Amino acid sequence: MFPTKILEKHVKFVTRHLNLLPSTHQNQDVNRMAIIFYAIETLSSLDPSSIITYKKKNTIHWIRSHYLKNENISGFIGSKTMAINGVTTITLPNTLFALLTLLILDDKEFFTNVLDCKSVCRFVSKCQDAKDGSFVSVLRLYSNNEPSPVDSNDLRFCYIAVAILYLCGCKERNQFNEYIDVEKMLRYIKEQQCDMGGYGTYGEPHAGYTSCALSALYLLDRIDEEELSDDFKEKSITWLLHRQIFNQGSMSYMNENNPSYDECDHGGFQGRENKFGDTCYVFWCLNSLKILEPIHWKDLCDTSLAKKYLLERTQNTIIGGFSKNDEDDPDLYHTCLGIAALKLIDGSFDGVLCIPSSISSELTSINRQ
Amino acid sequence: MEFNIEDYKDVDRLPITTGLEDELCAIMYTDEYKEVMGIARSLFQSKEFSNRAKRLTSKVIQLAPAYYTIWNYRYEIIESEIKKMSEPDSTNFLNKELSWLDEITLNNPKNYQIWSYRQAIIKLHPNPDLKLEFPIISMMIDDDTKNYHVWSYRKWCILYFQDFSNELTFCDNFIQRDVYNNSAWTHRMFVWKNLNPSKVQIMDELNYLKEKIELVPQNISVWTYLRGLYENFLNDQYDQEIINFAETFINGLFDNTTTLPKIESTYALEFLADIYSRNPETLQNSITAYNALSIKYDPVRINFWNHKLKKLTPCA
Repeated sequence: MFPTKILEKHVKFVTRHLNLLPSTHQNQDVNRMAIIFYAIETLSSLDPSSIITYKKKNTIHWIRSHYLKNENISGFIGSKTMAINGVTTITLPNTLFALLTLLILDDKEFFTNVLDCKSVCRFVSKCQDAKDGSFVSVLRLYSNNEPSPVDSNDLRFCYIAVAILYLCGCKERNQFNEYIDVEKMLRYIKEQQCDMGGYGTYGEPHAGYTSCALSALYLLDRIDEEELSDDFKEKSITWLLHRQIFNQGSMSYMNENNPSYDECDHGGFQGRENKFGDTCYVFWCLNSLKILEPIHWKDLCDTSLAKKYLLERTQNTIIGGFSKNDEDDPDLYHTCLGIAALKLIDGSFDGVLCIPSSISSELTSINRQ
Repeated sequence: MEFNIEDYKDVDRLPITTGLEDELCAIMYTDEYKEVMGIARSLFQSKEFSNRAKRLTSKVIQLAPAYYTIWNYRYEIIESEIKKMSEPDSTNFLNKELSWLDEITLNNPKNYQIWSYRQAIIKLHPNPDLKLEFPIISMMIDDDTKNYHVWSYRKWCILYFQDFSNELTFCDNFIQRDVYNNSAWTHRMFVWKNLNPSKVQIMDELNYLKEKIELVPQNISVWTYLRGLYENFLNDQYDQEIINFAETFINGLFDNTTTLPKIESTYALEFLADIYSRNPETLQNSITAYNALSIKYDPVRINFWNHKLKKLTPCA
């Protein structure tokens, strides 16, 4: 996918995030598991041999030590700073990030001998809002039984909840239903449908939320007429295709006037109407399109221009990595999603779980055990 | 009262672990961070709900605003305090909490936990006041006019207080500033959908919209809004007047299909293509429009326009 020289730079850029970080990263302490996932996932996408060094026992053991369990529920914390006896600090995102990381590092033993799937699923279950069926990411501090009153509930956490259950072996509808109220969640997801297609909060569609909603439906095997009417599906495809930015055709008509249009974003994708292009939305939009049109998605949009946008506009060929746009410095998150988008286009990526296809195909063997 | 480390002299620190072998992305914590976290962790564990605990949460949030546990802990403290109070003390107490939150918000514009914490405080508040929410929302949107979290919070507030009276003016200000602001347009649609408007109001709104379309015809947000008005309030029935209006932006294309004239708005043409596709008598116009988009006006999306054409004639 990359010339050797550039590949080496990307590997170097990403690896730096796994090494000792300066104190300016302190404010990210609680999200360290996210950093680890983005980095390990990206490395395995770039070059599987680059993660061999992280597959050693001690590193695996250290990651595993973020798995906390009490008599009823279990899940992962994002950093050791969060490990406090008697206080519930496990979170849905860190649980998903850690499970995927261990999967990528091929720690089958964790899945078969250490992970208590049922208690993880019970944790997911407790994060569901009894009223509207949505999810928050953490529980109340001193109670294992209630969703946190101060956390946001949105489509991201619905997706994460479903993905965790899936990784814990839920495949059939009744298996999901054993832990969460699937119908209520589906109703919530449907309420986030927007008039013009796509999903978002209170009627403003957003490519990130759209990808979360569709990925959740996909894992639940509910990409069907009941959850997505033909009309809404067609509107969503239209909405997603209009997110690709071009310096020719319709968008070039607003060259002079629109403060959020830059013709140099040619080939890229935006997350919402009348916004600049951004690396991560190439992934969110393409992943959504692929779910809606699994066979023809690449014919509908221009993936070669999307590739060109990523490689020529947001890739940093000097220090490695990808940035959000051509102005910012490269960062780990946009590097991860930029490379994910390129692999999705190449056909070697499972966009729904956000891991290389070669890794997600391992899942079947793990879940069978 | 300001945070003062002296107030925590008696707290047995619960130090964070550092310097483990094989640790990934280890952080070189500052001494201050280690000290403050050591105290915070100890207080979490002993469930201390006190003033000094609250002051400590401020300090931690300043160091690490994304630290979700600290927001949960602060809420527990606030909630336990409120239970001991009666009016008007609880109102004053929670108003102070909201002012404190304003400060934090201004210093951390990208942190989204702030808004869900704010919702929790409003729900706890015995006398919440929508007017007190407006300044911080305005400041934040003023600074970043398409900030998704802040617009969402505003909508949550409007629903919570069931007061839609300020919204049309609010949206109008941002639309005047930038007619391409999709957040402002979708907010406006959200307002109408909750208001149950009369036919007269919708007609006035259509006139308002037409002015904005005339101002900048090539703007996807306004054409989407137009469809929204028809779909939500006019039974999705497009009258000749609106069709004529849309046709003013395509320079007589349907009378001049051989040379394909220069047009003002491809979104107008796409709108017409869709409307014309609904009636067998005008279907030919729809085909013409999609063909024109694919050949001349938006050929970069040729596959998409062909997809639309295929949908029109499934047997072809």
